[in-house]
Amino acid sequence: MPPTSPASSASSASSAQPARPLVELHGADPDLVGVLSELFAAYRSGRPAPTHLVDLDRDLWAHLEELGLSRLTGSPERGGSGGTWADAAALLGIAAGAAAPVPLVEHDVLGGWLLEAAGLPDDGGLRTVCRPDPSGVALNVTWAREATHVVALWEDRDEWRVADVPLDHVALTERRNIAGEPSDTVEFDVDELEAGVVVSRGVGEQFHLRGALARSAQNVGAMERIVEIVLRHVAERTQFGRPIGRFQAVQHLISDIAAETALGRAATDAAVARASATNWTDPGMLFAVGVAKSCVGHGSSVVVRGAHQVLGAIGTTLEHELHTLTKPILARRSEYGSLHEWDETLTSLAVSAGHDRLWSLMTTGRAKAGRPSGHAVGR
Amino acid sequence: MAAGLLPPVPRELPALTDLRLEVRAFLAQQVRDGVFVPHVDTWLTRWDRDFTRELGRRGWLGMVIPEEYGGRGRTYLERFVVTEELLVAGAPVAAHWIAERQIGPSLLTYGTEEQKQAFLPAISRGELVFGIGMSEPDSGSDLASVRTRAERVDGGWRLTGTKVWTSGAHEADAFFALARTETLDPVRRHDGLSQFIVDLRGPDVHIRPIVSMDGDHHFNEVHLDGVFVPDYRVLGRLGAGWTQVTSELAFERSGPERVLSTFQLLASAAQAMEDGRLPLDEGLGRLVARVAGLHQMSFAVSHALEAHEPAETAAAVVKVLGTTTEGDIADYVDGLTATGWVEDEELFALLHAAILQRPGFTLRGGTNEILRGVIARGLGMR
Repeated sequence: MPPTSPASSASSASSAQPARPLVELHGADPDLVGVLSELFAAYRSGRPAPTHLVDLDRDLWAHLEELGLSRLTGSPERGGSGGTWADAAALLGIAAGAAAPVPLVEHDVLGGWLLEAAGLPDDGGLRTVCRPDPSGVALNVTWAREATHVVALWEDRDEWRVADVPLDHVALTERRNIAGEPSDTVEFDVDELEAGVVVSRGVGEQFHLRGALARSAQNVGAMERIVEIVLRHVAERTQFGRPIGRFQAVQHLISDIAAETALGRAATDAAVARASATNWTDPGMLFAVGVAKSCVGHGSSVVVRGAHQVLGAIGTTLEHELHTLTKPILARRSEYGSLHEWDETLTSLAVSAGHDRLWSLMTTGRAKAGRPSGHAVGR
Repeated sequence: MAAGLLPPVPRELPALTDLRLEVRAFLAQQVRDGVFVPHVDTWLTRWDRDFTRELGRRGWLGMVIPEEYGGRGRTYLERFVVTEELLVAGAPVAAHWIAERQIGPSLLTYGTEEQKQAFLPAISRGELVFGIGMSEPDSGSDLASVRTRAERVDGGWRLTGTKVWTSGAHEADAFFALARTETLDPVRRHDGLSQFIVDLRGPDVHIRPIVSMDGDHHFNEVHLDGVFVPDYRVLGRLGAGWTQVTSELAFERSGPERVLSTFQLLASAAQAMEDGRLPLDEGLGRLVARVAGLHQMSFAVSHALEAHEPAETAAAVVKVLGTTTEGDIADYVDGLTATGWVEDEELFALLHAAILQRPGFTLRGGTNEILRGVIARGLGMR
């Protein structure tokens, strides 16, 4: 979707029209959002009861493949749908709100992107993605057992390489994360990683940022669904002769849940807009992604705790929808950098900016106007 | 719907950024020239009429007032970035704050042609200073219970009652007083209220200081002892005071001053960590992220107001989270400091002011408890 500039067209209280546009919007394609909302609402109402172990939903995945959503962000020349980052963030949020067990981040946003950046062929098989350590081991590789290949990003003597490794070439130990999703240990043959295609430094550095922002987009989508669940519950649940949503203490708890969710949404959308507008080339991406990860991460503590409090004992049961959202939120929050690591990154950016440049950092992501910050991104 | 709570978050383009840089460069020069010392909560506590007039000369007051009324005819978004820059710099902006934020927009919406001509040009020049006359000794959160009454007299009204917490009344020229023009109907409590433009320098107005716990004088009691207000100084429609005041509060609640009151302390803490005067601690990054996220949210609300889209709930969210965060900054820095570090006078001046101003952050302009109720209503729970 091309960006729109409402400030230059909207009717305004002022008489003068600005000579240059002041702002632009980088929202997702509204038609796409409509399709996604319907699709995942139908999925949510039709799926089986929740289980404590969560496996890939192959029927849903096949359906997403048919609709061109499994490679939403891929370039059309390679069979992708050419979606923007804003489109991708909408898909990730809505799918996470439906607790859909599908590897959109791993297969499309990261795996497909890496294959494309490396110029490697994409046979359409399900991909997951990881960054093995120097000994060739990667921990917590989500959905690995379900994939045909694992796309590995490998840092080797100041060079970054991408290898598309068939699953039968790796040693895989099955594990699960706190959400009960596959989160396997994968051991590569280092020779196979060293044979990977060299990609630019930018690709290597962006990987962590893209993963962190994708996880934030998923989590804020799940938090928005939690707000809906909580509101429905307090309207239906009656105690002391009235719906519990009429009690001020409950209203305040839910206001806080909604407020933190909205802050996470603002921070995430701002980072997504910056990514969409600049195709991730803006040097302020590190700061913007960190703000999203921190706001969504800390906010999720308020949301998860508050939602469980509002839902009462019923919200702690296997049959209830709530844990299908809260558990993945907690699992994803620690991926692509812990909350602590991201707060440290932001602290070091703020401290280097110092008193006089902190505000410049906070509005542009850079401590000095017009100059790239040049911060390398660690693991 | 939760997803609809937040208006779209726009991306700032160079036209706005250039305006920011222009204001920022001017403010940095003012600091270098010793015109002001950056401080916290300056939109309440730092008056400087000369500085205010200088902003008027530079076109940074009356920005959303049309040129025919002496304003600059610019957009709310442009005013938003100028406002942010002034707050972040800790500049002395209290003298024009109320007029610029809510009196001007209210006059534009509800004022007569004569009132607009009489007040808007002077507001835009920074020469006319306004206060707010809403709260009373027995009317805080429950504003509809105000008891100041206006009695019909020949050619106007006679106002009798007491207003409190009137920031800067001892320096201001006028205020909007909310008064009962009809007796209270317990079933329709919001009816029968009207707004009056009252000359604070006129006869029968008695102003007494309310001294804050740090010994400073910002607040006042304003006693109206039968003050005569002519008919042509009634604001808007008689009996519609509640609607008018509520729309004024939308401007009052959504601005960046609900996020940035302690920004100078946050920036000084970052510098102190760089210099080794405070321990390096990742709590700073968490607060920086929150303020940055709130900046985006506040910008989104401003953008919605510009397009005349509803943003009342989102504005309440900004104020609840923002005022909590600006207070948390004070508490956070306090937790990092130890006595015995007294050589750091600049940091301590900011810190102590922030801690003592903090209780007011979550009270003024609607307490956070009232605002959570506003959010609950926006979510359909009321």
